[in-house]
This record gives sequence, C-alpha cells and structure tokens, in this order.
Amino acid sequence: MAAAKTRSSSFSGNLSSAASSLGPGLKCGPNGTVLLSSGIPDLDKILGGGFPLGSLVMVMEDAEAPHHMLLLRNFMSQGLVHSQPLLYASPARDPRGFLGTLPSPAASKDDKSRGPEPDQEKGLRIAWQYKKYFGENQLNFDGQRDGKHKYSNEFNLRNPLERHFINGQRVDCFSIQDSPDLSILQDRCTTFLSQLPRNDGSISCAGRIAIQSFCAPQCVYSNMEWEMLSFIRSLKNMVQSSNSVAIITFPPSLLSPSFCKRWQHMADTLLSVKAIQDDDKELAQLLTGYQDMIGFLNVHKVARINTQVPVILEATTFSIKLQKRRYLILECLNQAPVDGSSGTSYGTSGSCSSSSKTGNLDF
Amino acid sequence: MAKSICTALREGALEGELAPALTIKDSIASPFGLQVFDHVLSQLFSSILAGKSPSQGLILVSFSRSPSFYLELLKNKGISVASSDKRIQILDCYNDPLGWKDQLVEISSTVTVFREVKHMDKLFNSIIELGRGLVGGGKIRFSIAIDLVDEMLRRASVSSVARLLSNLRSHEQISSIFWLLHSDLHKARVTAVLEYLSSMVASLEPSHQLANGQRGDLENFALIEHNSKKGKFHVRFKKRNGRVRVMSEEVHMEQAGVNFTPLSSEGAINQGLVPKVQFNLQLSEKERIDKANVVLPFEHQGDNGKPLQIYDGRRSLVDSKQERAVAVEKEESDSQRGEIIYYRDSDDEMPDSDEDPDDDLDI
Repeated sequence: MAAAKTRSSSFSGNLSSAASSLGPGLKCGPNGTVLLSSGIPDLDKILGGGFPLGSLVMVMEDAEAPHHMLLLRNFMSQGLVHSQPLLYASPARDPRGFLGTLPSPAASKDDKSRGPEPDQEKGLRIAWQYKKYFGENQLNFDGQRDGKHKYSNEFNLRNPLERHFINGQRVDCFSIQDSPDLSILQDRCTTFLSQLPRNDGSISCAGRIAIQSFCAPQCVYSNMEWEMLSFIRSLKNMVQSSNSVAIITFPPSLLSPSFCKRWQHMADTLLSVKAIQDDDKELAQLLTGYQDMIGFLNVHKVARINTQVPVILEATTFSIKLQKRRYLILECLNQAPVDGSSGTSYGTSGSCSSSSKTGNLDF
Repeated sequence: MAKSICTALREGALEGELAPALTIKDSIASPFGLQVFDHVLSQLFSSILAGKSPSQGLILVSFSRSPSFYLELLKNKGISVASSDKRIQILDCYNDPLGWKDQLVEISSTVTVFREVKHMDKLFNSIIELGRGLVGGGKIRFSIAIDLVDEMLRRASVSSVARLLSNLRSHEQISSIFWLLHSDLHKARVTAVLEYLSSMVASLEPSHQLANGQRGDLENFALIEHNSKKGKFHVRFKKRNGRVRVMSEEVHMEQAGVNFTPLSSEGAINQGLVPKVQFNLQLSEKERIDKANVVLPFEHQGDNGKPLQIYDGRRSLVDSKQERAVAVEKEESDSQRGEIIYYRDSDDEMPDSDEDPDDDLDI
C-alpha cells in the first residue's frame, strides 16, 4: 500500500466556495488544483488524490505487454461513469470497438476485502510487511462516503460497461491510423477542448482525452518526429487552459532516444508500465506475491501545479495485480524474507542482499 | 520449444483477438533463419492438412525464393501438394516483383504472380483475395507466411509495412501469421517495430560470440565454423495475461533441415529487477583464507592455550623495547596476516570484560 505524503501548505485558498460548485467526479486538491480520478483508487492514492485538471499524463508502454490498456480502460470508464465528455483516439481501425471492453463499476456490496485471510489465527501475528495493513482503515472511510457520485470507483474488469453510459455521452472516437498528418487530430482536440474552457467560476464538468499508442508504427505520421513533438506541446498548452486531463500512451522503444527524452519532459505526470517475465525463479524468490503479479508500474514524475515543492514518493515501483481477476490493484513491492538482512519494504533498487535464499528469521 | 511456437500458430486467434504473429529474426552470425522458417512452414501446413487447426488454408508470400522451391520442399517433407491444392496458395513476389517482364510462364495453379510489390495496400488486397479464394468468405480462417519482410522494407516505407502487418493481424479471417527478418540489414528501430507488432519473437543467436566481431583471426575460424552449424534459439512469448515467457533451445543444422534440442547449460536470461549492487558481497577463496587468518583482539584466544599478547598501547617503554624485538620477528612471519591494532581504553579495565564503557554516562 502506498500513500503519498500530501503536503499541506500554510496557504489555503478560498476553498469553501469553490468546493460547493464542483461537478461530479471532481474534488479539490492541494495548491488550489481540482483533481479527477484516474479510475484506479490505488493510483489516485499514490499520486496524491488523482490527476489535476489541466495536466498532461503520459504513459510509457512496454512493447511486450498490454498493461497500458488497463490504465486507459479504467480512466475512460471513470469518465463515462461521471458523465464527463471523452475524446478517444487510437491507431486501430475501429476505436469504437474498444469502448465495448470498458469495465463497469463494481457493486459496493461485493466489495473486495483487502484484509487478511479469514482463516488466520487469533493469536500473536508477526507482521513482516506491516505497512500493508495500514490501508485497511482508510478503505473503510472511503466506503462510507457514499452517494450517487463517488469520486473514484473500483472497476470490475470482467463486466462490460453498460450501454447507456456510452451512448448518452459526448464520446468522440476516431482512428489516427490513416491520417497523413496530425492536423485532423489537432482539430479534433481543439474542438473538444473549446467546450471546456477554464473560467474562475465553478467547474460543472471536466473532460478527458485519451490517445492510445501515439507513435504506433502503422500510423502514417509516425516518422514525423518533430511534428509529433509539436503536437504534444500544443495539446499540453490547450489542456492547461481548459478543464480537462489528457492521457497519451506511447511505446518508447519505437522512438529515437532523444525524442523519447523530449516526450518524457513534456509530461506533467509520467508513468511507465513494464512486462514481467513468466516463471522467473529469481524474481519469485526476491518478491512476495510474484505469482499474482501481471506487471510493474513505475511513477517517474508527479504533476506539480501551482507549487515549487516536488512530490517525493515513498516508492516509485508498484506491482500491478488483478485481484480475483477483476479489480486492478497496485501494490508496493515487498521483498521476500531473506536470511537475517533487513529487507527494505519498498522497491528493489535499494536492496543490497545478493543472497536470495528464503530462510527463517532468527532473532 | 519450437513446438510451442508451432502450437501457438496452429491454434490461431480467439474470437475478438488479434492473430498471433511470429517474427523469426536472424543475423549473419547465425544465418539459419530461412531453414527455421521452412521448418515452421512445413509444421504448420501439415497440421492444417491434418485438420488440427481452425485454419483451413495457408497463403505463402514468397519474396526470397522461387515458389517451385517451396513446392519441392513440401514434397520432400512428405506433403503432397497436388492433393493439397486447395489448401495452399503461393503469392509469387520473387519472379517479377516490379512488373518488368511482359509474360511469365505459369508454374502451377497454386502460384499467383504479383507484380506490384511497392504498393502495400495492393499486396494486402491480393493476399486477402487469394485467401478468400482458397477458403471462401465468411468466418473461415487461413494463415499467412511471409518469406522475407526485408524485401518489403526495401521497397516500401516502414509505416506502410507496419500497417499491412497490423491490418492482417486484425483481419477477422486470419488465424495466424509469421514472417522472417534479417535483423542486421536494418536499423534497430525497424526491428523494434516488427517486434512491437508480433506476439512471439524468435531470435537466432550464435552459440559463441566472436571476439570484437573480427572475422579474420585464425582463432575465430573455428568459432565461425562452429556457429555455422549450431546456434541458440531464443523465443519470447507475449502471453495473454500480460506476462512474457522466455525460452531457449539449441538449434542444429542438418541435411534434412533444422533440429532443436534443449539447451545443454542453463544460462540466466533474466535481467529484470534483480538488484545490481555496487559492492561485492561474496568472498573469493583467497579472501576467505585471509579472513580466517586474521587474529582478533580477544585476549583469551591463543594458540594452544598460550595467552596471546596484543599490543595495547599502554605498556611501559622498557617492556615495549623487548616487545618490539619480539614484535618485529612476529611481524616478518605475520606479514601475510592481517593485523588489528587495539588500544585499550583504561588500565582498570580487566581484560576481556564485557562492561560497556558508555554505561557510566549520565544522560
């Protein structure tokens, strides 16, 4: 479980008036920003509440695994559940088809319990990775804040989203495969964002833009590197002055290294997903829960809006798991118990034990 | 594990999924790509003929070898093409790819000549047309084998080739597709693009790397000869659950074709998240011996019960002179040993007392 330390500044804006006039699915964040949910409650916690309006999120894909699609699905579903307008661009021939794979919100009754297993003894328990158990209390609090519009939902990846969410919305999908250049995409984004200007008044609704696999090789413009970069820059500027969040996923292995760096600098929030090798005995010994993991998520950058203070996370690498094969959860990496050495509870980059034999702890 | 590739290709795509795609890549150091391609081709075709696959036919797009070579090959493998006329069609891009010849003698009914290799969309249409002609329309599927993707890349842009391959993969009638690539003929980005588009990547590597890539040395000749008969075959599978399976085998060139055997020595392929430490935690043999030889400053220890004298910095000068003479002798013999210099804190301290000198601090 990872909880980013939210810095409470000594300056607090006039939040009371703003808070009452926020639309569904929005909440106030630190430093006068307004946040919307990413669709994955764990990711919201890690990022300090959600994605701030006006930010550009970039996700670096791994060519070997489709985990960025999981992030996109939850992001888009969350927007549709809150009736936020959505613009989706993808290199597939039929992007509308992807909407059929969006997950539906989990019913709160069969909410997953992340607590310890029921068959645990009542006696003394030694918590090896004690931080895992802190989150239980927090979950209970969130569940109580019910009401028609929850800020963030758990999504059940097995159930498709109900039709009425998709049909009655301002959902715009189009394919970017055949566009000879980026002007069409640019125009669509401009039209979409012009509906969501940022004023000083209340924010009735926020929009979401999702661009999948932006530099996919089948797109005609994929070798026009400077044009793609200038599109990203103009999108970032447009998004900054509107009430929306844009998420762009791209495979970094298909870009030249200098452009890859430039794109990474463009992002306000930068995430990356990585595939995990199957049947990797070394990794299985090093990490607990390796069997359930389907991939890794790295948080490289977290958006800093209206502040100079950087967000320093306790951990930057998380494992992606599907709980009960339905719910996407992110967990801190926990090192398996090792002979005597003090295992650090976050990331394996700090570890200095080269012997990965699992042994008994001796006190 | 070449078997698992063939199984995956044979099983084909599930409903609503992209067709499995295999990239076979080799290089000059290990040039068995074409033979491996032939092997996979004959395996797949025999399973199609035997009815073990949902795919009902095979379209072979031949760029680097004449269609008659393939007909011969299949005959030699014991597959009679005459009776299997309805199951295989060869799109001949070898004899007249650019349409220079006026007339061509038709080889057989299984071969169709294609003259416009520069136009990927026309190639796409011809492939689909040929496939439909073979298996009919509707939901019946067929497989595709593309001889050399390098030839396509010579004449068309990377993005158009990528578009062709991804459209083939997403076509509802295609069950599986595989192609061969010579990876050293292209920039790294091209290989990355093709790996991005495929669900399995099989790479051929030499079993012994040549030193500095020099090929003229006498020592290297033996290696080159060795490499021309044997090699390593690595496969990376992208599984449906998002994990990557990595497997390795040895491949031998023989008269009849290629032969796959399991790896003789297990090599660690994984680089993943195993922490790279900057200091060495293991002791080498010499270091271990030296460590055992170091004399520790405990006064009760000593060879055969004799008390060991350790210089503690407080002996009087007279004694120390005598000591020095002894010490010098000792030093010469002890020059191999490590030494620990121990200065005792105060004279009242009994030797080897367990008293904590900080105990009398008053905090």
